[in-house]
Amino acid sequence: MKRRPRLWVAAAALLVGAALAEPLVSPLNNEDVPRLLAHGPWPPSALRDPSNRVSAHPAAIGYGGALFHDVRLSRDHSLSCASCHQPGRGFSDGLPHAAGPQSGTRNTPGLDNVGLQRWFGWDGANDNLWAQSLRPLLDVREMGNSLPQLARTVRSDPGLRDGYRRAFGHDPGADDEAVAVDLAKALAAYQETLVSRRTPFDDFRDAVARGDRQAAAAYPAAAQRGLALFLGRGRCYFCHVGPTFSNGEFSDIGVPFFIGKGQVDPGRYGGIQALQRSRYNLLGPFNDDAARSSATSTRHVLLEHRHFGEFKVPSLRNLARTAPYMHDGSLPTLRDVLRHYSELNEDRLHADGERILVPLRLTPAETEDLLAFLDSLNEPGAAPARTGTP
Amino acid sequence: MTGKAVLGLLAAWSAGTALACGDNLGSGTRRIESPQFLLVYKLLPDPVPVGRHFNIEFALCPRAQAPLPGEVRVDAQMPEHKHGMNYRPTVSPRGPGQYRAEGLMFHMPGRWELSFELRSPGAAPQRLSQSLQIG
Repeated sequence: MKRRPRLWVAAAALLVGAALAEPLVSPLNNEDVPRLLAHGPWPPSALRDPSNRVSAHPAAIGYGGALFHDVRLSRDHSLSCASCHQPGRGFSDGLPHAAGPQSGTRNTPGLDNVGLQRWFGWDGANDNLWAQSLRPLLDVREMGNSLPQLARTVRSDPGLRDGYRRAFGHDPGADDEAVAVDLAKALAAYQETLVSRRTPFDDFRDAVARGDRQAAAAYPAAAQRGLALFLGRGRCYFCHVGPTFSNGEFSDIGVPFFIGKGQVDPGRYGGIQALQRSRYNLLGPFNDDAARSSATSTRHVLLEHRHFGEFKVPSLRNLARTAPYMHDGSLPTLRDVLRHYSELNEDRLHADGERILVPLRLTPAETEDLLAFLDSLNEPGAAPARTGTP
Repeated sequence: MTGKAVLGLLAAWSAGTALACGDNLGSGTRRIESPQFLLVYKLLPDPVPVGRHFNIEFALCPRAQAPLPGEVRVDAQMPEHKHGMNYRPTVSPRGPGQYRAEGLMFHMPGRWELSFELRSPGAAPQRLSQSLQIG
């Protein structure tokens, strides 16, 4: 591996206007510093979804949190959202494939920081969190409910009706679809509050940003070496970039997408088709923002054959709680994920002449360093109870 | 008038034209030149953040007698990754030779090739392009 100059302190000092007297031994070079800084700050400033009129409203957040755990949202009252999105597991379920009334073909994604996403689901079939929240309520493979039944449930139960009134300022109306979409908007308002806490990486990143050598030195050396690989030879940051460690887009990384004999998961290609068909997208009638100010991605998204077999680039925060990994849950551990990238089968990649994704051929020591880096993206301690505080 | 004086006047006129092109875009503009056109553009915002939508305002100034194209398309490719953007930008005219492109996104850091394709009926498209380092 090419030896890289260790100039990050000087670069950081230039950035913050401070002069640091002693160099800190670090594997980061001067090119890495702005790349490092691009992965923060954390947490991001609070966002409000303009497409959801109850986004960030405390009453809606509380109502959505209660709905999230309410089995009456499923057709046979056997499942709630929390049945698969379990708070103690990073809001995932620990299974390779989602297990509802019918087994799915994709891994249940965690919900930490879900409100920061642009596209929702492994294929990005939804462009907003309330539409994504409505989808499993109606999907026969999951909660299997219907718009009329959801609306009846809310209207007929005093507690649900009262919560609806507090969240939306009026009783549920006669339009079943509007009531069901409102339930989804309350669920979205709750999920927007599921923001993960700061991590050791965030402390390191901020220490570098302010030129604080002493604070930066607290970051483990193995994690620093792993970070250097992540930003350098590994080129992981090409896709896992930004404060959530995801560019929010989709990629084909050579994970097989066969889901049975003669069947394939089209991934992003099918997701764009579903998005464009959906009446719940941001160009549709249920967007509460008349100006459609957040619909830029939907308006301009491009459907091309290359999107076949692409899946969303996941966030890397709190990965420890969301095993197994990949869109199909096919890799049980992060060590398996690193092995996938180390031994990447280039024949499975769609792009001819691919020059960014190449087999990394990681040494055992490099694998350990990358694992140490990924571990530094986890919140310290046990999984916290996210209370749905706005 | 001597030949030298004519050349001087032409150079002054040419320089004046070049200075005027895109002046309305303010500071922070970039230029692409071809024998027939000068294109001055401004990235909004600049620098472009990775994975976020951005827009481009640009002015297209014909040299000599070249007419303005009937249509302008904007696109970008990432040559090292053999793919383009995941979004198709729209281009709206904002006055003679003035345009705004919306809906672009560079979803990866690295080198992108930004291109402006000028199309006119009955003529081969002309492409003005420039390399940008992102992130």
